[in-house]
Amino acid sequence: MPSAYVLDNGAYSIKVEHSNAAQPKLVPNCIMKAKSEKKRLFIGDQIDDCRDASGLFYLLPMNKGLIVNWDLQKSVWDYILSKDCCPANFAETPCIYMEPYFNYASVQEGVAEIFFEEYECQSFLRIPTGDLAEYHYRKQNPAAPCCLVIDAGYSFSHVAAYINGKRDPKATKRIDVGGKVLTNHLKEIISYRQLNVMEETYVMNQVKEDCCFVSLDLKADFAKSKLKYPENDIVREYILPDFTTLRRGYVHTLDQPPVVDQQKLRMNNERFSVPELLFHPSDVGIQQIGLAELVHHCVELCPEEARSHLYENIIITGGTSQFPGFVDRLYKDVRALASDEYNINITLPPDPTTYSWQGGKLISQDPEFYSFVVTKEEYYEEGPIILLERFDGVS
Amino acid sequence: MANKGGRESGRLKVQEKRRILDDATRQRRANQAVEALYNDNFHDDPHGDLVANKKAPKFHDTLYTKKGKKSKGADYYKFKYRKTYGQMIEYEEIVRPNQTHYPDAAAPAPTLPKRYFCCACGFPCSYTCITCGAKFCSVSCQKLHMDTRCLKWTA
Repeated sequence: MPSAYVLDNGAYSIKVEHSNAAQPKLVPNCIMKAKSEKKRLFIGDQIDDCRDASGLFYLLPMNKGLIVNWDLQKSVWDYILSKDCCPANFAETPCIYMEPYFNYASVQEGVAEIFFEEYECQSFLRIPTGDLAEYHYRKQNPAAPCCLVIDAGYSFSHVAAYINGKRDPKATKRIDVGGKVLTNHLKEIISYRQLNVMEETYVMNQVKEDCCFVSLDLKADFAKSKLKYPENDIVREYILPDFTTLRRGYVHTLDQPPVVDQQKLRMNNERFSVPELLFHPSDVGIQQIGLAELVHHCVELCPEEARSHLYENIIITGGTSQFPGFVDRLYKDVRALASDEYNINITLPPDPTTYSWQGGKLISQDPEFYSFVVTKEEYYEEGPIILLERFDGVS
Repeated sequence: MANKGGRESGRLKVQEKRRILDDATRQRRANQAVEALYNDNFHDDPHGDLVANKKAPKFHDTLYTKKGKKSKGADYYKFKYRKTYGQMIEYEEIVRPNQTHYPDAAAPAPTLPKRYFCCACGFPCSYTCITCGAKFCSVSCQKLHMDTRCLKWTA
């Protein structure tokens, strides 16, 4: 079985590897400048070589899920395809490129041109990330006629309804809250309440990953976090890295002996009020409904006979879904909104970040795979129009 | 005859001096706060002050493979596909007429009433700053807000 090169071009991290590998490599989709090292730039995972990751300056190719800085994106891809990271022989290996829903045609044409003309790709498949999550789910559950994909990413979160393997664009909706908004909100409130961390995106992103959780009962958790320590089991200390003795910060519970010689943050209601934005974007003034309401909204947009199947086959992907309590809260809220005749079943894969990439791995083994792709000859013959014809039909 | 040197309310006197922001300004400030959540960086480029000389780092490291045809540099692509958001939408309408596009996919406006959290401590709250409309939960948080952010804070 020849392998394919599967590249999930996420706004935060690119998931990339040949389809015969078990797991993809995760490479940050950005170029970073460090204060401590003025002689070089750090592309993607080169940041692991950086001694002092404080005050990192981020150059991101994507904004709101669209590629806006092409020079940066090209440099990141060049690094990924170099021998230091994950080289590919595109003359023999087909390339599967994954993008967000509703990507603009002008962006798609640019991507295709780079892959065909610059990287000399022999065959190329462009597909939305969520479609491959659905494909993966369908392969695992062949009996399920419908599927609802929740993709909580870095730039935004999507809910998409698939009926008989086909996505309904009218029932594909987006909330403009993703990992980036959460990290920025956490930075904002910590900077006002405790310590100025507005420049520390890298560190605060780790704080978010290590500390935050989704509250199951917001009122009770607020009441609890108002109490003093022994009764309050929410409060934690986060020991910040100093990049000399400590490279990565960690959570410190108050029952352990106190750490005295490190800078630390006190994480109390911040731990759950930050991920709460996924369920109530209006708390920071983003005028959109929350994730659970959006699930209900999208299901309601579908024909009635599909609804019970959609509620029973909810699959979650994307890195932002990894907060503890995310699935339980989603279940609780969707259960409250949906009619009680429906069963609700939500699946959180063991690794939601790479779930779609695994779908790309599976589609490369599909017997019809070669009918999905566009070859170099077709592209040169017919131009970018062939991409629209072929990929807008695939789902 | 009114008594010119009569008693006057200290509270009203202070109140008159205090500027009250109108709804449009409050809305603009709220929008700025939302926009800030999508920022990549909140500080200046640490390499921005480097002076160009022989020893200055080369930012566009040549990562391109030397074999085969000559590669176009990253700068070429920077300008090639750069489009404004308006141009993207316009082009999309031509290429995919009568289909659902990116702006149509945004989630609808919230139906539940807005919840308010204290701008200082983050707990649920019930009071509103007269001047700027921010929320606070207690006198101590109000004082903190007045001293630090009220009308001093933009974005």
